Amino acid sequence: MTTTTAPPPATHWATRAWNAAGLIVTAIIALLWLAPLLWAANTAFKPEGETTLIPLTWWSENFTWEAFEKTFIQSNMLRWFLNSTVVAVGVTALVLITAAMAAYGFSRTRFRGKGAVFAFVVAGVMVPPQVLVVPLYDEMLALGLVDTYWAMILPQVAAPVMVFILKKFFDGIPHELEEAARVDGASQWRIFWQVVLPLSRPALAAVGIFTFIFTWNNFFWPFLAVSDPDLMTIPVGLATIQSSYGLRYAQIMASAVLGGLPLLIAYVFFQRNIIRSIAHTGLSGT
Amino acid sequence: MATITAPTPAPATTPAGRRLPPWRRVPAGLLFTLPFLVFYVAFLVWPTLSALYLSFFNESLTGTRGEWVGLANWAEMFGDSAMWASFGNTLYFTLLTTPPLVVLGLVMALLTNRAMPLRWLWRMSFFAPFLLPASVVALIWIWLFQPGFGLVNDTLTRIGLAELGWLTEPELAMVSVAIATVWWTVGFNYLLYLAALQQIPQHLYDAAAIDGAGWWQRLRSVTLPMLRRTTGLVIVLQILASLRVFDQIYLLYQGTGGPGFAARPILEHVYTTAFTNFRFGYASAISTFFFALIVAVSAVQLKLFARKGPDR
Amino acid sequence: MNDRPPTRRAVLGAALALGALPLNGCGGGARTEIRYWNLFGGGDGVLMLKMQDDFRAKNPDIDLEAVTLAWGAPYYTKLAMAAAGGRGPDVAILHLARMPGYPAGHLLDAFDEELMAEVGLRTSQFPPGLLERATVGGRLYALPLDVHPFVMYYNTDLAGKAGLLGADGELAPLTGPDQVAEAFAKAKAVTGRYGLSLDNLDVQPWRLFWGLYRQLDGAMELPPGGTVGIDDAKAIRALEYMRRLTAEGLATEGVDYPGAIASFINGEAAFHWNGGWEVATFTAAGLPYSMTRFPNIFGNGRTAGDSHVFVLPHQRVRDPERTRASYRLIAHMLKTSVTWGSAGHVPAYQPILGTPEYLALKPQSEYRDVTPDVQLDPPAWFSGSGSDFQNQGGAAFQGVLSGELTPEEGLARFKAAVNKLLTTLSPV
Repeated sequence: MTTTTAPPPATHWATRAWNAAGLIVTAIIALLWLAPLLWAANTAFKPEGETTLIPLTWWSENFTWEAFEKTFIQSNMLRWFLNSTVVAVGVTALVLITAAMAAYGFSRTRFRGKGAVFAFVVAGVMVPPQVLVVPLYDEMLALGLVDTYWAMILPQVAAPVMVFILKKFFDGIPHELEEAARVDGASQWRIFWQVVLPLSRPALAAVGIFTFIFTWNNFFWPFLAVSDPDLMTIPVGLATIQSSYGLRYAQIMASAVLGGLPLLIAYVFFQRNIIRSIAHTGLSGT
Repeated sequence: MATITAPTPAPATTPAGRRLPPWRRVPAGLLFTLPFLVFYVAFLVWPTLSALYLSFFNESLTGTRGEWVGLANWAEMFGDSAMWASFGNTLYFTLLTTPPLVVLGLVMALLTNRAMPLRWLWRMSFFAPFLLPASVVALIWIWLFQPGFGLVNDTLTRIGLAELGWLTEPELAMVSVAIATVWWTVGFNYLLYLAALQQIPQHLYDAAAIDGAGWWQRLRSVTLPMLRRTTGLVIVLQILASLRVFDQIYLLYQGTGGPGFAARPILEHVYTTAFTNFRFGYASAISTFFFALIVAVSAVQLKLFARKGPDR
Repeated sequence: MNDRPPTRRAVLGAALALGALPLNGCGGGARTEIRYWNLFGGGDGVLMLKMQDDFRAKNPDIDLEAVTLAWGAPYYTKLAMAAAGGRGPDVAILHLARMPGYPAGHLLDAFDEELMAEVGLRTSQFPPGLLERATVGGRLYALPLDVHPFVMYYNTDLAGKAGLLGADGELAPLTGPDQVAEAFAKAKAVTGRYGLSLDNLDVQPWRLFWGLYRQLDGAMELPPGGTVGIDDAKAIRALEYMRRLTAEGLATEGVDYPGAIASFINGEAAFHWNGGWEVATFTAAGLPYSMTRFPNIFGNGRTAGDSHVFVLPHQRVRDPERTRASYRLIAHMLKTSVTWGSAGHVPAYQPILGTPEYLALKPQSEYRDVTPDVQLDPPAWFSGSGSDFQNQGGAAFQGVLSGELTPEEGLARFKAAVNKLLTTLSPV
């Protein structure tokens, strides 16, 4: 983190007490927040026969990888992972390309009716996609796209809020640089690609990261659009687990852990970027 | 962010005097927006209009266009007690989740926006659940809420309280969903607050410190006022997100709506109507009605979002 | 963004996968291609895959494209949609009680007895009750694969300690409301918690009610546009008995599906009422258990259940070769359904039931004579497995189990919900 935190003020005893109290409260909340995850992981490592013992214990003499092994063999976890990757990467790429281009068009070019078109797009920020599943399903049927990757990818690309965020960011980029490029005879496309985009990395990162997270975790639409197990994403596939295993809790928790792991690992790598890019993009309204 | 909103328009690109082929005569700016507009119209605008249109037909799943039924679907909806019950459940859920999600997000951000030991760990703990898919959240919380061997009930018994039927009592059905939801999604608000806190200029604190302001006074006179816009945004975004609840409830209760339908939100009612009872037309009427409500709330969001930066 | 290179490839991969979907097994020249949809996941799905592979090995001239779709409402939606457009699969699995939602002739095509005979299938090989449900206007629209009844599991150790086993080590038959309750009371004395573990939520209360109500000879009429015809006195008796089990502490209360399974596994209860499909779960848990028919409480052995059936979704143009290949697939599945029986379903193809292989399946074969007594949901476009009707029934009667509603109130709530479904014109 590049933090702008206050250097600790005069080491007054009261301040120290405050800091200690803050730390304790933080630790307690963090423990509450971690407990469900730890308990799920703990269950996943137990043998099936020990998961429902009363009173429950955190320790087992017989911790085992068995549930993970079975999950890997019996479920389509790898396939779901692949599908999630295809869908999330596809959506993120298309969103970045289309939203950045549109934002550039609205921020940096002039054409008749631009104001009206932009207003038309901004109005879309208010449209809740979850409410549109019925007509959208109808549309996908008509297009013959139900049970394809396209059915999952295409509707998620229409994200006007991302255009809005990027346009706001582009508006803040000084014009001098592109004037220089224009004098050199660069086309609009080259200015967009070689001047504006490179300057917009933090905004693009924020849009990309959040589009990716939201798409990766989206459940409702992919659940409707796809029934073929070979096309299911992780959230959709995991939704079928509870009923299809009967009730083998170690295995269910192993699937939950495996299903949650990819993004958690990614987070560890991107932790720094996430908060910074939100700050830079004005997503938090500041 | 102090946005410089200075839309100095770029000069039109067409070099003067040249005759261009027809496609080149489309303004370059419009070409830039075109790819997005295609997706936008096809998958957002069209379904919106189509929902309204379908709501006047008794369209069913068989794909053949049903007959025009005028306002019959709408009339049925306003007299549909199941619709109103699920609408009430949705509002109840919004009421249950919004305050804790906003307040807790702020508290977490205030706690961890200082130099402190293990800060990366605290930050990760608060944000990590947000990265989980709804199905994982549901699987974990079904497991936690089990009677006897569930972690929650086990903890209650250990501290001498009685077990509760978290997923089986109609009165608790939505509360349990709310608990799981707060755990799951508070990380997003936390992040927005954290980013906002880092934007507050240090000199404001320095000035307050010179005035001898303590921790509490600095919070009241600097931090909270500076977060006002963020808070407004977080509240509206949260209300919108809560109103659209479906995933975790559908998954926690396996699509049954919870004990006595006590946890069936309006979107699940739409889902059942359309995909279990096959009534696309009627489901579209409910969708459109709910859509109108959300648009009203969103209008507030847009106002907050669009307002220029510096005046806060 | 550093993920740009994989992006392009992934999109391309998606495009390829999309394009590749309808194409399957190009070689082989004259092979007849058929498409088969089913909804079997988990343990059932594994068995079905085995049967499909077996079919492919023995029928090299047929190219079987089998698609397992996720169970639930979307399956029914998709199947109906595909059939309505005349582009459905050649063969599909349906729940028999859901058939009224798939109008014969419009969404489903009839079976041809001559073609059945070619593959060695005769109607006399199937339970007449099921065929009657599958017949519309004198023509047969479904061939049953199995029935899956509501059954009774029991923990052999605990039942033995409670003195409920006969000399053969099997549960001594329980008959009548009081004897069943007494047995649960004895079991409760052994476990210290409950006699019976029962899912009080979801659709299970409906299944329990329907079995008991049918044991009382109760009838139910669901006339479209009218109101539900139900025998109030008998319905109340069934509901009172359900409430008795929870009120006297004999059965688990306020427990959902996973909770009921867990309390049976943990030995908190010696008995468990559920569908036959949890065999794999209890076997995996290493539980000493067996299964038997749902007890005769009100004078007969009727129990709630449904049946997986093969149907021929409507084709705009019916190709005779594909149709023949479809019949061969169905015949293969039926004749090898002993494999299927190991999942806890009772094969509907009667010649299987007497084979040593099937009889060797214990405890699955213990309740093989249940078929004539399996009670499907009353016919209506909105009833059957996974339907809103069952969900409504479950919701109304779970209140009775928990004591929140009196039997009269529960019945009133059920009737109101069903009447509402009845006022809705069939969308199909």
